[in-house]
Amino acid sequence: MKTTGKLRLIFTILTIIYILVPLLVVIPASFTSASYPSFPPQGFSFQWYTKLLERPEFVTALINSAKFAFMAAFFAVIFGTLGALAIAKYDIPGKAYITSLLTSPLSVPQLVLGVALLIYFTPLMLAGTGTGFLIAHIIICIPYVIRLVLTGLSGFDYNLERAAAILGASPLTIFWKVTLPLIRPAIISGGLFAFLISFDNVTVSLFMVSPDMRTLPIEIFSHMQDAYDPLVASVSSVVIFISVILIVILEKLQGVGKVFGGTH
Amino acid sequence: MESVRHYAHQEVTQDPPVTPKQETDPGQRKKKKAYVPGLLLLLPILLFIFGFFVVPMLYILYLSFIYTDSPNATNAVFSLKNYILFFTDSYYLSSLWITVKVSLYTVLVSLLLGYPVALTMAKSSPRIRGYIALLIAAPLLVSIVVRNFGWYLLLLPNGTINSILTSLGIIDSPLKLLFSEIGVVIGLSNAYLPFMILAIATSLYNIDPSLERASAILGASPLRSFFSVTLPLSLPGIISGCVLVFSMSMSAYVTPALMGGANVPMMPVVAYDQINNLLRWTFGSALSYVLLATTMIMVTVFTRGFEKSKFREVFR
Repeated sequence: MKTTGKLRLIFTILTIIYILVPLLVVIPASFTSASYPSFPPQGFSFQWYTKLLERPEFVTALINSAKFAFMAAFFAVIFGTLGALAIAKYDIPGKAYITSLLTSPLSVPQLVLGVALLIYFTPLMLAGTGTGFLIAHIIICIPYVIRLVLTGLSGFDYNLERAAAILGASPLTIFWKVTLPLIRPAIISGGLFAFLISFDNVTVSLFMVSPDMRTLPIEIFSHMQDAYDPLVASVSSVVIFISVILIVILEKLQGVGKVFGGTH
Repeated sequence: MESVRHYAHQEVTQDPPVTPKQETDPGQRKKKKAYVPGLLLLLPILLFIFGFFVVPMLYILYLSFIYTDSPNATNAVFSLKNYILFFTDSYYLSSLWITVKVSLYTVLVSLLLGYPVALTMAKSSPRIRGYIALLIAAPLLVSIVVRNFGWYLLLLPNGTINSILTSLGIIDSPLKLLFSEIGVVIGLSNAYLPFMILAIATSLYNIDPSLERASAILGASPLRSFFSVTLPLSLPGIISGCVLVFSMSMSAYVTPALMGGANVPMMPVVAYDQINNLLRWTFGSALSYVLLATTMIMVTVFTRGFEKSKFREVFR
């Protein structure tokens, strides 16, 4: 038993390394002084970071990504929080079906969703526009917000709301002073998660971008398809850096494993 | 973030939709108010999902039955021709076959690598469990393009793995890891393994530890306990993990495009090409629905097959 336990532990550590290895390789590779990407890196320099700053398309794409991810998260949080509150608080007929409907964009392959939205948006003149892009991203973010806020509301003590009502607070005051502060961590997690989902999305975005509006993962994706240089490593490291910061905040608020439905 | 989205597949197979706990306290039951204000709160999100998700999905289902010879042709007819074209052309059929094959390999690799990790999580303290969950789940929040680029560096003909294997004298000439099915399976299993682990771990947490103790007391060896108690009881987790990883692999676009290229024309890559490069929208819509239907049929057959097996009692 002891040896099998030890073997399993070693196996576990190796598997975790296997999961992390692509990320662990990218960061050192970005500091190479060679003109081609490799791991282990050849020499050491910051040249691929300075070259990155000279490439306006990456900087624009980063700004676009951040801007759209922020807006998508904002709208997804508003729609999602209102929806989750309604589901949790009121006896709505067909509640289970409504919840499934609201989380169903997750069960449809992103490729199919991308195809559907592109074809649908074209006659509506939304294809290749910022609005179309934003709508698509809100759709993919909504299920996560719904899920996280509903989880946040599952332990909610409605007596607090009733107490406030008895003390004479108006429904709006109750919402601002009681409900919102209590579910704030869930809302923030939902928003952060939505931001990351939108920020990192490639598949749906591929159908939604236009030549003059690209996001960072799309820029990296197309750069990888036609050029192969360490610039991809440095820009990828920037993405990792941004993601790690947000993941740390998310972990403090909610637990990243929990978000994916794993641990209790 | 190709990988994260599919979390909801679990809903179909494992979790019921997250709904708040049923209130048992009679005083609390009164908080359930009339549903009219609730519907008002739901209205924006319902309209949004309906208008920008349900309708587009139905629209391309309709389009998949429209056949035209060229993007701008006006001779559109309502027919099954797109689907007939798909199932009579060896290129599309082989693409479907490759997609299914690569997805099944991905499931197998994820299951073999994932099960022991899930077992470790189930046997660890909540603290360690939390750390493992963080380490395996956090990469899911980094763009799949970035993770694939990492594999690029490792799998290139003159990349890390080939140089190590050559310098150790295991191989003479570089292995074709990139732009091959192996590369795609590595990329996909790496991306989706966390979902497999978390799905299995969840079902392992629910096993009553006294069952294993009981089997030990009754004289079963640890191996015997594992195969007759733990493994069968974790089957629901295994199934939901497999279903999850399978459906995600079937519809992955970025990894096959980057790590398989033209050598591994999986369905999503072919569909993207039809839509974005050839502008054959109605045929692309049909491809999308063939992909969806194949995934659903295979998942149903797989789940039913397991339910009918001798482990059926586990599902009660």
